[in-house]
Amino acid sequence: MRAFLQRFGQREALLALGCIVSGLVFSGLSPYFATPDNLLTIARNSTELLLIGLGMTLLLGIGGIDVSVGSVLGLAAIGIGRLLEAGAPPALAALAGPVAGLALGVVSAFVVVFGRIPAIVATLGLLGVYRAGIFLALGGSWLSGLPVGLTNLLAARIFGLPVSVLVIAFAYGAVFVAVRLTPFGAHLLAIGHSEARARLAGIGVRRVQVAAFVISGGLCGLAASFYVATYRNVEMTIGATLALEAVAAVVLGGTAVTGGRISLLGTAFGVILLRLLQNGLLLVGVPSLWQPVVTGLLLLLVLGAEAVSGRLLLERLRPSAVGATSRDGAR
Amino acid sequence: MHTHSKVVLLAAALLAVNSTFALAADKKVAFVPQIIGIPYFDAMEAGGKEAAAKFGVDFIDQGPVDTNPVDQMQIVQNLIDQGVNAVAVSVLDASSIAPVVEAAKAKHVALFTSDSDAPKSGRAFYVAQATDEGLGDAIIDEMVKRVGEDAKIGIVSGEATASNLNAWIGFMQARAKAKYPKLKLLEPQFAGGTAQRAAQIATDLMTANPDLKGLIGVASTTCPGVGQAIETAGKIGKVIGTGYCSPNTARAYLKSGAFGYSVLWDPKELGYLTVWAGKQLIDAKEIPATTTPEGMSHPVTYDAKTGVLLLGEPAVFTAQNVDNYKF
Repeated sequence: MRAFLQRFGQREALLALGCIVSGLVFSGLSPYFATPDNLLTIARNSTELLLIGLGMTLLLGIGGIDVSVGSVLGLAAIGIGRLLEAGAPPALAALAGPVAGLALGVVSAFVVVFGRIPAIVATLGLLGVYRAGIFLALGGSWLSGLPVGLTNLLAARIFGLPVSVLVIAFAYGAVFVAVRLTPFGAHLLAIGHSEARARLAGIGVRRVQVAAFVISGGLCGLAASFYVATYRNVEMTIGATLALEAVAAVVLGGTAVTGGRISLLGTAFGVILLRLLQNGLLLVGVPSLWQPVVTGLLLLLVLGAEAVSGRLLLERLRPSAVGATSRDGAR
Repeated sequence: MHTHSKVVLLAAALLAVNSTFALAADKKVAFVPQIIGIPYFDAMEAGGKEAAAKFGVDFIDQGPVDTNPVDQMQIVQNLIDQGVNAVAVSVLDASSIAPVVEAAKAKHVALFTSDSDAPKSGRAFYVAQATDEGLGDAIIDEMVKRVGEDAKIGIVSGEATASNLNAWIGFMQARAKAKYPKLKLLEPQFAGGTAQRAAQIATDLMTANPDLKGLIGVASTTCPGVGQAIETAGKIGKVIGTGYCSPNTARAYLKSGAFGYSVLWDPKELGYLTVWAGKQLIDAKEIPATTTPEGMSHPVTYDAKTGVLLLGEPAVFTAQNVDNYKF
């Protein structure tokens, strides 16, 4: 039993196994699942959540959260859409996404970090403000059927790989390097374990917190560029479900919801498993109403097992947590 | 002091004018939308203005800046106090409108509903855009016209809890069963409120059913998702997309061919009919069971028992006529 629980700790392996097993089950039940077209669809459906999940991983890592990520994506998407409508070059529109996202990330960082408001409360407030902003910016009508320039740009292939794959690989690679090879990672996890102790240890807590929010904002904006390229429309409710999906995927991936432990690879697998289940369940004929139930149960199962194994508790109580995190906290 | 007395004089004069010459002055019909500044209600306002010019009444369009029922009731109350002759409301909260209906009665202001009803509030009548049955029938009939009776059709709805969407789906299924026994409607899928999820579900439905002939987006948010999914999958011409969406939302997809048509009603006509109905109330004229108001191209029906004045059959928007509509 103990051996099983220890193995269970290797969340990434477990999630990869989950993807493979559910993939095999779906292929057995539907001839249309394991086709190149459908696997590509799953990958495309995962793009935005992979980017937003990466930022959310850092935020949960410092013991924060941002429930306004979907609205940040929405506001950036409106900027991109308006530029495309005005006939701006697609490359400019693509860059406008991350730029807008970074700017909104700075706003969130200031409200949370310098306003000293708990992240969940502050970002809930920002969510309301951003939603109203989306409504006002759209003026009650939606952007739809936007020009295909951006779509063509981001569907292009470099060295045989789609731009989206390269961008996601680069984003994960860059964050991985920052977390593993620079003090940023150790500081991030130390703050997640205990903000007070991190401060006593001389860590620039605010600087790290601001960085996490700004990076997350930039990633949301980047996701917006892919969103507009894929869907070519911006509706009033854009991104409404993304924040909860991102938190679910990140926690599924082994990042502690209480902070102090993150897994980038786990986040990637968590996102893919969520999107794979959404796609596969529909393909085998499960009504879409049941799909949130399945993902919800999955989340409860994983977190329940974690609580039973006592991992959540031990991780928090370990006295040498700050020192230990740089070794085993980030994977 | 000087200016103050001038204001008092002016107010007194206005009051005198109001009470003495009220009969001579133009009658005022007001419409209170659920929110101002969105294309749908802008179109209703445009129709109302047209009717007001035609029938010689003053038209006032005032509504809340967000969909707040309390603000809306305050605006209705203000209009009643200002002494409009008739006020139409697109009701936000049916349970909170009763007090202003009472206030209107006390001041002999005719209050009725339009676009969104409050059946038990004591309102004079309800100007309705289309029936759920009419909308359900129209979308199925138009689909069969394009793909034939022997076809498999997918349905992508929004929230599973939305009663109007579920009613439309129910009438679609009833129509298919009664009139087109060979038509196969797949179980409805629910995308929630985002176009992104609707696009994902539409794509998955096309993958799971390679012989799919049509896709119906029931909620307005599902329309762009369905349209985009058909375009991305390269299924234009093979799968006919449609939905209950405004011309502005459907335009790009109608023109690309991803959508064959879109079904809704024309809010401009609804605004026109609303002001016409207000004029009938002011003139204390009975509305006949079937009548064609001056300036309209088709008859409207009135059910005196339920108090519903029905605009008529839903409008069908296609690539050919979509540019005539701006909402």
